[in-house]
Amino acid sequence: MAALKTEEKRRTFERLANIREIVFGVQDGVLTTAGVLAGLSGAVEVRSQVILAALASTVAGALSMGAGAYLGAHAESAVLRSELERVRRESQEQPYVIQESLIEALGKEGLNREAAYRVVKLMSESPDVLYTTAEEKLYGLTGANFGNPMIEGLLMGVAFLVGALVPLLPFMLIASVHAGLIAGIATTAMVLFAVGYIFEGRFSGERRPALAGLRFLAIALGAAIIGYVIGLLIAPIGTVPVG
Amino acid sequence: MLKPGDAAPPFDLPCALDDQLSRLSLANIRSEMVVLFFYPHDFSFICPTEVVGFHKAQAAFKAEQTSIVGVSVDDAETHRRWARELGGLGYPLLADEGGKLARAFGVLDDSENVALRATFILDAKRTVQYAVASPINVGRSVHETLRVVQALRSGKLCPADWNPDSDADTL
Repeated sequence: MAALKTEEKRRTFERLANIREIVFGVQDGVLTTAGVLAGLSGAVEVRSQVILAALASTVAGALSMGAGAYLGAHAESAVLRSELERVRRESQEQPYVIQESLIEALGKEGLNREAAYRVVKLMSESPDVLYTTAEEKLYGLTGANFGNPMIEGLLMGVAFLVGALVPLLPFMLIASVHAGLIAGIATTAMVLFAVGYIFEGRFSGERRPALAGLRFLAIALGAAIIGYVIGLLIAPIGTVPVG
Repeated sequence: MLKPGDAAPPFDLPCALDDQLSRLSLANIRSEMVVLFFYPHDFSFICPTEVVGFHKAQAAFKAEQTSIVGVSVDDAETHRRWARELGGLGYPLLADEGGKLARAFGVLDDSENVALRATFILDAKRTVQYAVASPINVGRSVHETLRVVQALRSGKLCPADWNPDSDADTL
């Protein structure tokens, strides 16, 4: 029963590893779109053009982020697997190298040399146990490192889309550019605060989750303000007559 | 690192021998020759082959009037447990805690504070006659150490790859 619970916990941890894609995607979708809306609202007077540009940015961003996450995870997985195979081959030829490294690693974690030696000697009775432990202890690699690139890409893309809708929907629903922008930034702030509060605050057991929420909020407002200011600065360039 | 012709630094250190804790000084070693071999650590997967190898070849060294002494920076009690782990050793393991002796022989790795894998053969006057240090991942040859002891004791001019079975005294 205990073993079953451990396996369940391990799978839960592996699933939690996908939080990175969700948080990253939502945060990037919200910030990018809020930044685009803020920047274009400062530079472009026509509301429909702002919406069109923001929609284009959202679709491109979601595809780019999804594809990037897929390719990144795929490349990482391929490189790690190849490296692990090389290490395992070398380990089979010279097991004492891994055994000594494990003794050192266990020593750094608090075991004295003799105890570490005995632990490694026991593990050495099963080469697979030795190599798997070495992969985790020496290279920090677990099953969670080999996530599914397709799932990671999809999660990232969808999370970006969902995040992008947060500032975009109020902006589309409210007729006034400035009112829409304020509403978009307000929902952005609320959602980012909520993401920080829930994922970084609650899930990680932080004592003051509101601080994590405020950190996200500060980033969002910072990005939006900087985007808006840059929009104002480059606006005159768009009004220069060509030819 | 000491070289042939240098006087071996005297020592008087705790040691483990025959599952007992004791002391050993260079002055009290009565054999004609002494093989003093340094190694980094007890409870290692690299060193046991040499440590056990010297144990297995002890009769051959004894026949050459040669004592074997192992040295590392571990304490005597750890040496005792390590020797027991290896099934017992017929020669002493010196406890060079702090690496003073290793430093005196010039084989202390300061970055790790352990001895290098170095072997010294001392003659009757306790002068270094042979000194060699090995990289961490290459085990020493017990057979080669014995061959050098035999060559030194032969008193002859020994050519390359000399051995007592194909004794030749000219180059």
